[in-house]
Amino acid sequence: MSFSVPLLFRGAIIESDAIEYGGRRGGARFTAPDLSKHLDRLVLQRPSALAELYDMPFGEIVDFLHQLGQRLDPAKNTALQEAFELSRATSGLSDSILRYHYNMIPSYFLPEAVRAIAERTIGLDYLEGWVEQPPMGAGSVRIRAIGARAVHIIAGNVPVVGVTTVIRNAITRSDAIIKTPSNDPLTTAAVVRTMIDMAQDHPITKHVSVAYWKGGDQAIEQHLYDPRRIEKIIAWGGFAGIKHLTQYLQPGLDLITLDPKHSGSLIGREAFADERTLQAVARRLAVDIGAMNQEGCVNARVVHVESGSDAEGIKRAERLGQLTFEALKALPDHLSTPHKAFDGELKAELDALSFVDDEYTVFGGKGNEGAIIVSRSEQPVDFARMLACRVANIVPVDDLETAIRSVNSYTQTIGIFPDSLKAKLRDRLAYQGAQRLVSLGGAATLMQAPGPQDGIEPLRRMVKWIVDENGDGDMLEAQAIVKSAE
Amino acid sequence: MDLGAAIAANPQSFENARYNEGFELSRAVRQDAQLAALQMRFNNLKERLPALAKVASEQGVSSIDSLDDAVPLLFPHTVYKSYPLSFLEQGRFDRLTKWLGSLTTVDVSKVDLSAIDTIDGWIGALEKTGLAPIHTFGTSGKLSIIPRTKVQLRVTVQINARCIRDFHGVGSGPDLLTQPMPLIAPSYRYGASSIARGMNLMADLYGKGEALFLYPDAYFSADVASLAGRLRAAEARGEAGQLELPASLIARRAEFAAREAQRGQDMDRFFDEATQRYAGRDVFLFAVWPILFEWAEEGLKRGIKNVFGPNSVLTTGGGSKGRVLPADYKHQIFEFLGFERHMEFFGMSELMANAPRCEHNCFHFPPVVIPFVLDPETGQSLPREGKQTGRLALMDLLPDSYWGGFVTGDRVTMGGFDAPCECGRTGPYLEADIQRFSDLKNGDDKINCAGAPEAHDRAVEFLLDRTS
Repeated sequence: MSFSVPLLFRGAIIESDAIEYGGRRGGARFTAPDLSKHLDRLVLQRPSALAELYDMPFGEIVDFLHQLGQRLDPAKNTALQEAFELSRATSGLSDSILRYHYNMIPSYFLPEAVRAIAERTIGLDYLEGWVEQPPMGAGSVRIRAIGARAVHIIAGNVPVVGVTTVIRNAITRSDAIIKTPSNDPLTTAAVVRTMIDMAQDHPITKHVSVAYWKGGDQAIEQHLYDPRRIEKIIAWGGFAGIKHLTQYLQPGLDLITLDPKHSGSLIGREAFADERTLQAVARRLAVDIGAMNQEGCVNARVVHVESGSDAEGIKRAERLGQLTFEALKALPDHLSTPHKAFDGELKAELDALSFVDDEYTVFGGKGNEGAIIVSRSEQPVDFARMLACRVANIVPVDDLETAIRSVNSYTQTIGIFPDSLKAKLRDRLAYQGAQRLVSLGGAATLMQAPGPQDGIEPLRRMVKWIVDENGDGDMLEAQAIVKSAE
Repeated sequence: MDLGAAIAANPQSFENARYNEGFELSRAVRQDAQLAALQMRFNNLKERLPALAKVASEQGVSSIDSLDDAVPLLFPHTVYKSYPLSFLEQGRFDRLTKWLGSLTTVDVSKVDLSAIDTIDGWIGALEKTGLAPIHTFGTSGKLSIIPRTKVQLRVTVQINARCIRDFHGVGSGPDLLTQPMPLIAPSYRYGASSIARGMNLMADLYGKGEALFLYPDAYFSADVASLAGRLRAAEARGEAGQLELPASLIARRAEFAAREAQRGQDMDRFFDEATQRYAGRDVFLFAVWPILFEWAEEGLKRGIKNVFGPNSVLTTGGGSKGRVLPADYKHQIFEFLGFERHMEFFGMSELMANAPRCEHNCFHFPPVVIPFVLDPETGQSLPREGKQTGRLALMDLLPDSYWGGFVTGDRVTMGGFDAPCECGRTGPYLEADIQRFSDLKNGDDKINCAGAPEAHDRAVEFLLDRTS
């Protein structure tokens, strides 16, 4: 089956000069227009054109997004339906999970959700006008958050990434060129295409473009990543991709990375208080591992458990492993299912564990159902960084010191049980580099605050912070005059 | 005894066969011989090899009645690196030995490990049992260790000589076992990698001791190879700075530094010696295309051509390794070398007998290897007919002390089950387009926020930096 990914820019829909690209895993292929033919028109040549976004009050942005959201019902929107079909082949998410995430799309556009992002990340007043600062000394200062021209290189493991990018761009009154990934080339295009159908000439529509090109295409990237054409690059995931981007960096070009991360869990000795507690911990851990089929950076992979590492301790860890595996299999199917494209290399690593069975106990892992590997020493498996497809590694430890020390700036979320342990460790984990600490079970599902992500505030970095200062004229002039000796 | 019966009775007898006859067998003869040999290997090993016994019992396989019956018994390609890295990091050579012992019938339980603190030392200790363990380069982060024996190593080198002699017709090439030629290889004289062990023995058997190596006295260290792999893994976790360097390696710092500094000069010396000392003589040359092209370019620039004797043999291979070679690179190389006879192989450390490339660019497995193509999703064997694309699995019938069956990480297209290759040879062959599944998975512009960065560095540079 072949899909056509349009080039959408500034309200225009281009489908000509198609080049074929392959999503190899599912065999799905897609075509997209040859971007090199449209490069000049893709970028916003005159930054002054951003002014049209400032002719409308924030309320109009909220209304616009609300109307757009109402048109993004997957049951009715044919562009989204087509994107769903392609995602079925390219995504690591099963149909039931994908459907759940598609059905969630309209909710991101609700007025209260949009306002919450604006208010809790940048502040509505800074988005709407020049904000007078508390007086200090003689002069006065006003600050405003102004939109910027940016290329967004988005991740494709979950559909919400592209949806969020469109909303963030509208809220910050910026100009976005969104480069979609080959594992989800169409969802963001469907959203923006719906926007074009709804209001082709609206300023918001005219300041968002969606394009696919093969990451690393020098002819395109050399042209785009130039401070005369854009001011910011917001890049998700892909170490190699971000490394590659750095060659274009120069003064005037700001790189905001939401780089690849791993997440894990810390489980205190309290989990073993009684069987009922352990059961609850296992269920919560299963959610952190299995939600979104472990396709997210927030999902738990290595789980350090304060069970003790002697024979009794390993037995306790194994009991947790067994219960967690059972809970994993029982997760509701909008959250998690056996992985439809289980990683063959990971399977080979799992299979090899049976040749060292005095070192590891494995629950599951026969087919694509997922697995819980319990280490029988204080060492994680050597392939810890490959853990995916609902495979996690429980590591029994005497105390959590080693686990804390293994946290670093590649660690995003840590699910912790109990909450008192979180309160006790949070400063130390933060010093180490951890970026989000959450009650066990909430790693992939809580995300209740629009705000920091990967240790930064991306919306505050997406805008330019402009300062307007007043000073007393006489005082300013006096600086130029040499004081004569009395 | 005809070849089919000989292989059925003892696959290692192939070392004395006329190699090309292996590609003249009818389908029925080949398969009967392979099935008989497979049954023999299974029956002899299933009781004595704990790892095989375990898989057989898990899979409920007690006897083999067809070639496909072996598929559930094939080991994952990760089996020879299934030991935890912590064994090496913590110097637990006792547990590493116990692990290797479960994969071979050679008794390693009595090996004296009291003074062992390096992998090189451990490999040396194991050699006292008749093993000649082979390690890989650890590009995936960990060394595989294959429990080959010294006898098996010799079988491999003998079969390679038969291949050079007979692949293009009986006696079409020189018989290196009776007409020795100096061996020339831009590599280490000593070591336990598959190539180092092969080269070392070839220098004895083909060169009768006459050989030119880039590093004639040096040992290619498994510890350095392992450090390189661990370094990659540590960098991927963002922990390269915390990596503990083994004291045994720090002690050898000066040696590594000297070799690093000498690298350019060594290559020049090697080149000069090869082209002067061995000028006009028939030689056995082992080098990859990009290095050969560098020589040819340099040599031809200086007006040097037709360096070696016309009956010489080149064993080569390898991609262009990032370097773009001109369209006529082979022509330039042959002009410089003065001969065109060359062999290329598809092989891997886990395999004793490699598959030579034919005139039609296909790789032919000799009958002592049973190749399978598996469905990449289900792991089931695809029908042994027509052409099949999928995951390559191999049952090497040559080893008698470890299980030769394993599933590879390669995606291949295989033909030759029921119709010969265009070159006329019978039996399964691989088409030239061979890819790693791991490259297919990562190589197509997918972006996930999940994952840790991959990074590459050279272990010796790291070691020099850290200890300066």
